[in-house]
Amino acid sequence: MRGPRTAVAIALLLSALAAAGCGLGPGSEVGGVDLTVTRDYGSVSMLHRQVDDVTESDTVMRVLERNADVSTRYGGGFVQSIEGLEAEESVDRSLDWFFYVNGVESTVGAADYSLRGGESIWWDYRDWGAAMRVPAVVGAWPQPLLGGYEGKPHPVDVECLGGGVACAEVDERLRDAGVKLPSRPSGGSMRVLVGPWSRVRTDPAAGQIERGPQTSGVFADFRPEGAAYRLSGLDEGGEDTVEFGPDAGLVAATRRFEDPPVWVVTGGTEAAVRAAAQLLDTASLRDHYAVAVDGKRETALPVR
Amino acid sequence: MRSPFAYTPRPGPLQRASPGAAVVYLGALVAVAFLYSNPIVLSAVGIAVVLAGRLAGAWSAVRAALWMGLTLALLIVVVNALVVSRGTTVWARLGDWPIFGQVDVTAEAVAAGAVLGLRAAVVMVAFAVYSSCVDPDRVLRALRPLAGRSALTATLVSRLVPVAAADAARLRDAARLRGPGAAPVGKAPLARRLLAGSLDRAVDVAATLELRGYSLRPERPPAGETFFGPMRTEKRFTSPVQRRSRYDQRFYLTGAIVLVVAIAGKALGADSFSEYPTTEIGSGAATLAVAVIVALSGLAPLRRAPRRSAARASRAASRSLPAGGGM
Repeated sequence: MRGPRTAVAIALLLSALAAAGCGLGPGSEVGGVDLTVTRDYGSVSMLHRQVDDVTESDTVMRVLERNADVSTRYGGGFVQSIEGLEAEESVDRSLDWFFYVNGVESTVGAADYSLRGGESIWWDYRDWGAAMRVPAVVGAWPQPLLGGYEGKPHPVDVECLGGGVACAEVDERLRDAGVKLPSRPSGGSMRVLVGPWSRVRTDPAAGQIERGPQTSGVFADFRPEGAAYRLSGLDEGGEDTVEFGPDAGLVAATRRFEDPPVWVVTGGTEAAVRAAAQLLDTASLRDHYAVAVDGKRETALPVR
Repeated sequence: MRSPFAYTPRPGPLQRASPGAAVVYLGALVAVAFLYSNPIVLSAVGIAVVLAGRLAGAWSAVRAALWMGLTLALLIVVVNALVVSRGTTVWARLGDWPIFGQVDVTAEAVAAGAVLGLRAAVVMVAFAVYSSCVDPDRVLRALRPLAGRSALTATLVSRLVPVAAADAARLRDAARLRGPGAAPVGKAPLARRLLAGSLDRAVDVAATLELRGYSLRPERPPAGETFFGPMRTEKRFTSPVQRRSRYDQRFYLTGAIVLVVAIAGKALGADSFSEYPTTEIGSGAATLAVAVIVALSGLAPLRRAPRRSAARASRAASRSLPAGGGM
């Protein structure tokens, strides 16, 4: 009776393997992802592609390798060049490839980042001399607020810190983008802070912006001016380059340690916050690390 | 039982060549195996070493090395497939493993492992041919002027290892001869006894060397004498020093050609091969040319048949001699 027992054992083993996510071939398709390759903080677009044939076994690296000319180092875990644009390090500059999935810097390598479909992948080639870590960016709008980050959905809370009508504007734009907002704040959620900088800066995550891009990854600063604050834009080196007007607003994202990302919709004045709230759309935020608005003029940050 | 890799004296050109020539020839092929990753060139090196071994009469060594090498290659393929998840063509998803993480078996990782395995197998066959065809005594003798003490140590080791093997066989026989009622002897007690015997013998050898003055600072031997004593002593214990073989030139030349072609080919891009993200094997003219030349180099140990005219002349000469011979 050895035959039937062996057959049952093999069947059980195969069932266990199948249950553990094992299988032959690349697995079934999980949906499309959006692949973007840019350089210099998103200022130069190199590749924009909707990739539809993403399967269960696909990682960020595999999708990139299938869609662009890539060379790697350190055993294939680190991208050395994309489309011939090589990472370089010298006394003056340190240029490398960084990637964001749903606008959040990954804590694992591209070869280990499994995709679930629907993600927005953004590779950017930039000088990291002033900010080695830019933990979150706004350029994947409405991600990560819509689909979550690190492979998991996360709730979104809009915290109105004296934002007035701008809070309603932000709510409406999020809902229009398909983001489901809970009726009451929940733990572990991504937060969108809306309000003048004098209030927003009291939040520990948002307050990192005042400590510079090295800490927050946001190339902007607020200078006290009487009772209010005035926004200034920093360049890639973290130096003050543009001093915006008193009603300039800012939309930026940051992250404190491993906490969920925090978006700020802020400005020196209430008018500035309202202007910033109107930036929440794909046309204004796409492929930007952060965006400032002064009157009608939108400026991608860092300033170039 | 005799190891298939043990040196066996044969009348072939590779065995008759001086050790330096054989080392240059086989070393050039090994160098190409390490220099190139292109599977076409690696296969050509494999063909060359198998051919060289076959022509040199070392087929049993080649077969044994191929068996071991291909087993090792298979192991490398399996390990590489499990450890490396790079590559875009996923063949199987094996889930999340405790140490390896997400394990995906990709065609590229299998191909990369196969190339590594092929290289290992080729090098093993080359060393098997060397081991089977090159007299270790001649190699040590050639090394003696360069590093006398090291050569002496190597000579002693090469002599004492078979002695230890014979000791082991004798001990096993002795254990068996105690009869069926005796308690079985485990491997550990046998190994202990063997080790004790080997150490005893090492002390004896050291004492003998001491008595013969080998610990003293060696003087430069006068002309006509070897490093360790007068030539007559050398002649008494070893075979006479061999002169350069007429086959040396062939092996030196073949080794040099293989190396020059390999280096030139490398510079011209003959080693075009990419494992990841997709396997790409270059098969351009330069690659094929290098592969053909390397594969043909395996014919170097071919023994030339005696020229027909020369043989006929020799036979005729022997026939024309008077029965008594001589003048």
